[in-house]
Amino acid sequence: MSPPQASARLAMPVVPSDPDVRDPQLVPGQKAVIRNVDFFYDTFRALKNISLPLHDKRVTAFIGPSGCGKSTLLRILNRIYELYPGQRATGEVLVDGENILAPGLDLNLLRAKIGMVFQKPTPFPMSIYDNIAFGIRLYERLTRPELDDRIEAALRRAALWDEVKDKLRQSGLGLSGGQQQRLCIARAVAVEPEILLLDEPASALDPLSTQRIEELIAELKDDYCIAIVTHNMQQAARSSDYTAFMYLGELIEFDETERIFTHPTQKQTEDYITGRFG
Amino acid sequence: MAADIALVGRSAAQRGRASSIGDVVFRALTFLFALLVLLILGGVIVALVEGALPALGTFGVAFLFSDVWNPVTEQFGALAPIYGTLVTSAIAMLVGIPVAFGVAVFITEICPIWLKRPLATMIELLAAIPSIIYGIWGLFVFAPFVQQYIQPNLIDSLGQIPGFGALFAGPPLGIGVLTAGFILAIMVLPFISSIMRDVFETVPAILKESAYGLGATRSEVVRQIVLPYTRIGVVGGIMLGLGRALGETMAVTFVIGNAHRISVSILQPGTTISASLANEFTEAVGDLYLSSLIALGFILFVITFIVLAMAKLMLLRLQQRAGG
Amino acid sequence: MSIYTRRRIANGVVMSLSVAATAFGLLWLVLVLWTLLENGIAAITPALFSQMTPPPGSAGGLLNAIFGSVVMTLIATLVGTPTGILAGTFLAEYSRGSRFGEVVRFINDILLSAPSIIVGLFVYELMVVRMGHFSAWAGSMALAIIVIPVVVRTTEDMLNLVPNALREAAAALGSPKWKVIVMVSYRAAIQGMVTGVMLAVARIAGETAPLLFTALNNQFWSTNLDAPMANLPVVIFQFAMSPYADWQVLAWGGALLITLTVLCLNIGARALASWSTFKQ
Repeated sequence: MSPPQASARLAMPVVPSDPDVRDPQLVPGQKAVIRNVDFFYDTFRALKNISLPLHDKRVTAFIGPSGCGKSTLLRILNRIYELYPGQRATGEVLVDGENILAPGLDLNLLRAKIGMVFQKPTPFPMSIYDNIAFGIRLYERLTRPELDDRIEAALRRAALWDEVKDKLRQSGLGLSGGQQQRLCIARAVAVEPEILLLDEPASALDPLSTQRIEELIAELKDDYCIAIVTHNMQQAARSSDYTAFMYLGELIEFDETERIFTHPTQKQTEDYITGRFG
Repeated sequence: MAADIALVGRSAAQRGRASSIGDVVFRALTFLFALLVLLILGGVIVALVEGALPALGTFGVAFLFSDVWNPVTEQFGALAPIYGTLVTSAIAMLVGIPVAFGVAVFITEICPIWLKRPLATMIELLAAIPSIIYGIWGLFVFAPFVQQYIQPNLIDSLGQIPGFGALFAGPPLGIGVLTAGFILAIMVLPFISSIMRDVFETVPAILKESAYGLGATRSEVVRQIVLPYTRIGVVGGIMLGLGRALGETMAVTFVIGNAHRISVSILQPGTTISASLANEFTEAVGDLYLSSLIALGFILFVITFIVLAMAKLMLLRLQQRAGG
Repeated sequence: MSIYTRRRIANGVVMSLSVAATAFGLLWLVLVLWTLLENGIAAITPALFSQMTPPPGSAGGLLNAIFGSVVMTLIATLVGTPTGILAGTFLAEYSRGSRFGEVVRFINDILLSAPSIIVGLFVYELMVVRMGHFSAWAGSMALAIIVIPVVVRTTEDMLNLVPNALREAAAALGSPKWKVIVMVSYRAAIQGMVTGVMLAVARIAGETAPLLFTALNNQFWSTNLDAPMANLPVVIFQFAMSPYADWQVLAWGGALLITLTVLCLNIGARALASWSTFKQ
């Protein structure tokens, strides 16, 4: 068994109840394992010794107050931080047994396998069709009918097909906020990734669109390993199977969602969930 | 699904290698053309020095201080063109800066919102009009007007003051240093005004509102809040206008009179560096003549480079202060 | 007089002076454009566009000059635009905080405001002296050197406006950096970049000084790029400074043509810029 994660701030060891986490090696059902990861913005240590698993065909939610590092952790999984000098990660992240933090790894191939949807919808300045085709065309040579089918399938998965099937040639920028975000989700699933990273995907949307996105996530989890960062605790409680609570760059508690929200073992977790701070 | 991904992975690996070549090539390409910008400047310096060397070698430092310009005896001195360049630019600044300031204040503080865009566009059209248009307008319209109405009045009024009046002596010719300087003022005022406007807009609204809230008048807010806050940027904008005025060619060439001499009176003809180049370069016979002209160009380049570099540094500092 | 009254008068004076200054500026714009129209309209005849520049004392047109200007402007734009775009792309996308990028940006801005006659001298030394004669190629290169800093500046500014989230979204799909730039960033910034090119063209359309000792002038019709070529600005210079009345009329006509072109490009560029921001 690995030594318990000591948290100097709390002066009390974190004892997770999930047996998988106590010994974070690759276990059947786990798509990815984060092991002893630190993250630095120049010299500032934003993540401290994070270890947790991501289960396949399940939704894992990262929750915590602003600045706790949950988005930072998510962005390690597809190494999107490498776009910016001065940001670096140490430790290991094993995806299907392979450490994706290893130097020399082809980042573009990695990102083709791990999809990401951002907080604000980011449709490309092209037609809806081309938006979805963009990612596909990067790595596959498809005939026109094959491409059409893939795009339709992706739009159906994102519950957007009926609304846009007659205007595929129109610009993606002409859609509403909720539609644009579903377009981004369609774009991400169109390349058939293995892991989906969602960074507060509904926070910029109205409540109706938010609800539709949540329903979408519930459907998508049947096929992907999903990690979602959310500010909205109720959303985490509703949609996820596992929850990780983070605070000031540390993982305070990780467990099945039901247990975190009904019987949290850490006082901090309980305080956050009951709204005593946040 | 796993099989599909493996297949995708294989061709993707090949695609991966190809695209990293694409990245290397594209980055190198953009780097090369960025380097080209530096090389152009370097090339300009080298070309000018190379061309000026014969003249500078022959005349030495005296070149800068001699006002002799005689193609026949091959005696050349830069003093008259340098003097003319500096004086016309000084007149341009004297007239242009207050007007530009007034325009900037009007557009940022007084102008109704619906008028701002069209008005700003119209002032900027002054900058868009090519120099040669100002030139022929100056020659055929403005200079005769000045000769008939302005200069006689100046000679009769300011020209009569003992001492100072020498600035306005001589027959009214229309063309001359004053006319050229005035046209330059019209040409540079949109540049100065535009930078002043941009710089005035960086003043945080909260700052101005605090002053208004205390009962300050608009002119007080401008003079005591906006100007001090944007001081560096305003100076930068002025220096940019000066840089433009120093290098302006065609407008000046038409109305300055092209006389290689220095007169105290600004109503007299003179010459500037760029006007000399424009007028004489293609007719210049003899290597020393040509080289002297290129030496003039080199001097102009050095002067404008220093002025423009200082302007840029000041504007950069204001940007840093404003946070970005 | 109370302090308050004095302050109010001071305020009134300053504000009136600003209004006067603005009126002053606009006055000259109107005057110049009006006299240009007045004097130039007489020259706008079909002959202007069909006949060559005449010797003094005979009738003629400006066809060879118009042709030369169009050709040299075109070449300068074709050479200067890709150069400027690529250099601007380097500054916006690859030079994050690097010293080299700062230096290039600084030098570029100086070239932007440098006297255009210096550019003419440079190309004279570089091309005319080495080739042994004046040429339209040299004229085009001088104009291209004026185009480049303008396009570099607008490209960099427009690319910097593209939100990083868009780049991250493309990268997150596994796109290599050059595709992110070419297929996403350029597309997002295209309208601004086109505006920049239009403004650059407007700038060189009226430039005389750089052509004075590179392309020189040509009395006759010529399509030979390796020889001096007629162009509007230098023809205007020559004709306007001459004592011949019919030459002067042609000069005004040419001036009107150039000004109309420049104004249309400028106003068109602004319209394009505000239309694109309106769309978003």
